Amino acid sequence: MNNDERIGVYICHCGTNIAQTVDVAAVADFARTLPGVVVTKEYKYMCSSPGQELIKKDIADHQLTRVVVSSCSPLMHEITFRNVCEDAGLNRFLFQMSNIREQCSWVHMDHEKATEKAKRLVAAAVRRVKHHRPMEEREVAVQPKAMVVGAGIAGIEAALKMADAGKKVYLVEREPSIGGHMAKFDKTFPTLDCAACILTPKMVAVGQHKNIELMTYSEIEHVAGYVGNFKVKVRRKARYVDEKKCTGCGQCMTRCPVQYRPTNGDARRRVPVEIRPELKVAVDKALDLHRHERAPLISVLQDINLEFRYLPPEALKYISRRLGLPLSRVYHVATFYTAFSLTPRGEHAVKVCVGTSCHIRGAQRLLDALGERLEIKAGETTKDLKFTLETVNCLGACALSPVIVIDGKYHGNLNRSKLEKVLKRYTQE
Amino acid sequence: MPATLKTPEQVAAYRERLIGMYDPQRPCILICGGTGCLANAAGEVIAAFREVLAKHELDHKVGLRITGCHGFCEQGPLVVLLPERLLYVSVTPDDAEEIVEKTVLNGERIERLFYKDASGRIFEKQDDIPFYKRQTRLIFGANLELDPRSIDDYLRIGGYSALVKALTRMTPEQIIEEVTRSGLRGRGGAGFPAGVKWASCRKAPGNHKYVICNADEGDPGAYANRSLLEGNPHSVVEGMIIGAYAIGALEGYVYVRTEYPLAVDLMAQAVNDARAMGLLGENILGTGLRFDISIVRGGGAFVCGESTALMASIEGRVGEPRAKHIHTVESGLWDRPSNLNNVETWANIPLIINKGADWFTRIGTGDVTKSPWGGSKGTKIFSLVGKVNNTGLVEVPMGATLRQVVFDIGGGVKGGKKLKGVQTGGPSGGVLAERHLDLPIDYDQLVEAGTMMGSGGMIVMDEDNCMVDFARFFTRFLENESCGKCTPCREGIVQMGMILTDICEGKGKPEDIPLLEEVAEVVSEASLCQLGITAPNPVLTTLRYFPEEYEAHVRDRKCAAGVCRALVTYSIDPEKCTGCMLCARNCAAEAIHGEQKQPHTIDPAKCTKCGVCYDMCRYNAVLRN
Repeated sequence: MNNDERIGVYICHCGTNIAQTVDVAAVADFARTLPGVVVTKEYKYMCSSPGQELIKKDIADHQLTRVVVSSCSPLMHEITFRNVCEDAGLNRFLFQMSNIREQCSWVHMDHEKATEKAKRLVAAAVRRVKHHRPMEEREVAVQPKAMVVGAGIAGIEAALKMADAGKKVYLVEREPSIGGHMAKFDKTFPTLDCAACILTPKMVAVGQHKNIELMTYSEIEHVAGYVGNFKVKVRRKARYVDEKKCTGCGQCMTRCPVQYRPTNGDARRRVPVEIRPELKVAVDKALDLHRHERAPLISVLQDINLEFRYLPPEALKYISRRLGLPLSRVYHVATFYTAFSLTPRGEHAVKVCVGTSCHIRGAQRLLDALGERLEIKAGETTKDLKFTLETVNCLGACALSPVIVIDGKYHGNLNRSKLEKVLKRYTQE
Repeated sequence: MPATLKTPEQVAAYRERLIGMYDPQRPCILICGGTGCLANAAGEVIAAFREVLAKHELDHKVGLRITGCHGFCEQGPLVVLLPERLLYVSVTPDDAEEIVEKTVLNGERIERLFYKDASGRIFEKQDDIPFYKRQTRLIFGANLELDPRSIDDYLRIGGYSALVKALTRMTPEQIIEEVTRSGLRGRGGAGFPAGVKWASCRKAPGNHKYVICNADEGDPGAYANRSLLEGNPHSVVEGMIIGAYAIGALEGYVYVRTEYPLAVDLMAQAVNDARAMGLLGENILGTGLRFDISIVRGGGAFVCGESTALMASIEGRVGEPRAKHIHTVESGLWDRPSNLNNVETWANIPLIINKGADWFTRIGTGDVTKSPWGGSKGTKIFSLVGKVNNTGLVEVPMGATLRQVVFDIGGGVKGGKKLKGVQTGGPSGGVLAERHLDLPIDYDQLVEAGTMMGSGGMIVMDEDNCMVDFARFFTRFLENESCGKCTPCREGIVQMGMILTDICEGKGKPEDIPLLEEVAEVVSEASLCQLGITAPNPVLTTLRYFPEEYEAHVRDRKCAAGVCRALVTYSIDPEKCTGCMLCARNCAAEAIHGEQKQPHTIDPAKCTKCGVCYDMCRYNAVLRN
């Protein structure tokens, strides 16, 4: 770092864009105090021709060796001001821009604090510009080849575009198959287009393209070099299959006696499921109890449903994680079987048998009466979470029909008045 | 319980010891612990007897056995007193003291607790009651002889002797031959010959095979399997071990409805006890046979009674059936050869092995010497329920007539009303009319009449049941239970339900009936599994046997049975009404007006047609038409 640099600092008002929030004069005053700064100016529009001329003139008049402009985003005017420097005979890279509009005035309300922040941004730019070295632009030959890492829909699209443009593309994917997340979707937002209909033709195109060299089940080990001359070390994982002969029929995967599941890309980035402790204990217990079963999912759900009277969503997530099953699969099962509930159920489960025998002996009237009495419909729970009213197809107690079961206790040969007596026992606790 | 039984000889020796220790003349109180009786407070009765016996210090002199279902559920709780086999019905906890003091200790009879038939005749002994006398209780009879929680009881009465015979004196081929020759057909309903199924499964390539017991008794109105599992679980375990040996299976699954918690519990205990005794596990009875059983609870889906859906459910997936162009005996559970039979089928196996196919074929109909499809052999347990006097479980030989079952055993229709129909086969079956009373019940006759055996539900209906409503009941049931995989079933049943609802609500059009038949045909032809294929049966049989009821609903807007609310109006006959106010007090809609001792009237605008007034009136003054 050279402490002899002569730095010019230019603060832009950007009309009122910056000036209405940031006290530009104060920032300019502050900039004058910074070491190395020989000239500081503020102006309405720094990017206008008069603004540019102003900088050019100062470079000549003050023999500036570095220039800082505090205005908008470099995306907007960095090139403008570099050209200004070059026109004035200064190397275009001895310029530093600091953004006090998008990153300061536009996003803050408090004038004082915004001004303070603008000062710091200016100070940082001044510190930084001292490190700049003059640079030259020149053309060099590059390798007209590209590597795309990750063959999801974005990687596939990028590879195809470059390959179509005549460039050689190496497409690297760590999973055994390309496609990424999109391969797991049914439809895409927001048009609800069929995901597979978009993805599969592109996957095929990748496989067929002469300019694309596909490297599946491979991972990047090391990247060296620079733009135009990268050297990448890729590890192709062992596959034990002659790829030239393999037709991709998948039979070997289904026939293999060893349970092998290719690592799911998601598994590594997963965050733990939040689950309340007593629920976690119960699920862990159920999982342990059924650990020897080949398909413990339904048994585990049964146990949790029995203990908590429903299946809390976090339990489903946790079970999905522990059993290594997709959450959709767990929900599919949990919503298919009538024994499971996804909403909390009442303290007393009132099950009305609507089997054939009960039906012809008046189960519907019983159900109507219960509905009136508890002010809920079948499948619902009272607001005080006392009762849940359910129907069940047959309790196998047809000799007692019509029959209801409350908390596992059977009450048979019911009519309206007997029902009233039974209910009293549960409401008067 | 002894240490493990390691050889067939040890089984025989152990049984001898059990028989030696058992005194058939010792007084014993048998209390039915079946679900029907438990729901009638049998639990309290059991506790009362325990207390009384303890009080009199009779614990060691008088036995107390809690058995599975006796079948006569209508009269529960049931208490049978050994050695005389006296039967006391509708026993309450307060009767315990009297029974012990009078009958058990002094041999006195308590007349009020005996069963009386409709004519007032009193029956002392269980075996004399027509309900029991006219049955052939081959499978079910053992329920009285044993405590389902005791493997010793089962061994004592000859349990696991069929297993010993099969393992020591028969080859797997001979067992399959015996089962095939016996003509045993699947008791789950379709009636596929068990022996033929076993043979295909044995022949199927693969080392790891499964036997599965279908105990997902989903047919509403049927509970025979439940009572077998709860009354004699070891007979099912024994049948499965024999089956596993014959087929070459290593693992067995029992798929039980979760609505049957007691059955799950008892079956699990039976399996654990059998394992502890060396009848399951490695090297069974020293013969090198390896086999074990797991219990799987169902999730309350009717479709899981279908074999492929059941297997999907065991695999932890949703219970959706698949097309069976590849049979499950070749590729079933986890794509391996799997042999699935119903609870009752498995329970028949020890009997056939012990007594032989020749003995078995003497019971039942037809001739199975040329083809196992030639007849229906053995007995069948029916759940006789609905509007019948003696509801309960009834075991009769194949070929018994409806009249024998409903009238001779069942004691006829409740309240002396007229029989309208009998529904068999659950939602997949159909309704038989009065004219079928002399139809011999077997697989083929039932199918010919448009219904099926199913899992043995037999629901009696009287003149107060509406056939259109009944068809709608099953259609709604199936609408809910359709898994939704294939379109004809998922959509077709809904359409049938909508047409039936219109008819029940008085919005039916004449063209609805042919349309209903057409939809029914499509559903039946195009569905994937038996649920859909048989779904139209209730509709088709009621259309076939009770067309006049459909016509009355559509043309005259009348429901003669008074079930379809929209077609019914209630009124009060001023001649008969005494003004007792009972109906007015109980009318939830407050639709009945009138002064005390003056005839009442019903306000049709307020009436919700719930029928409470009709049921309550003691003077038959409420009219329904």
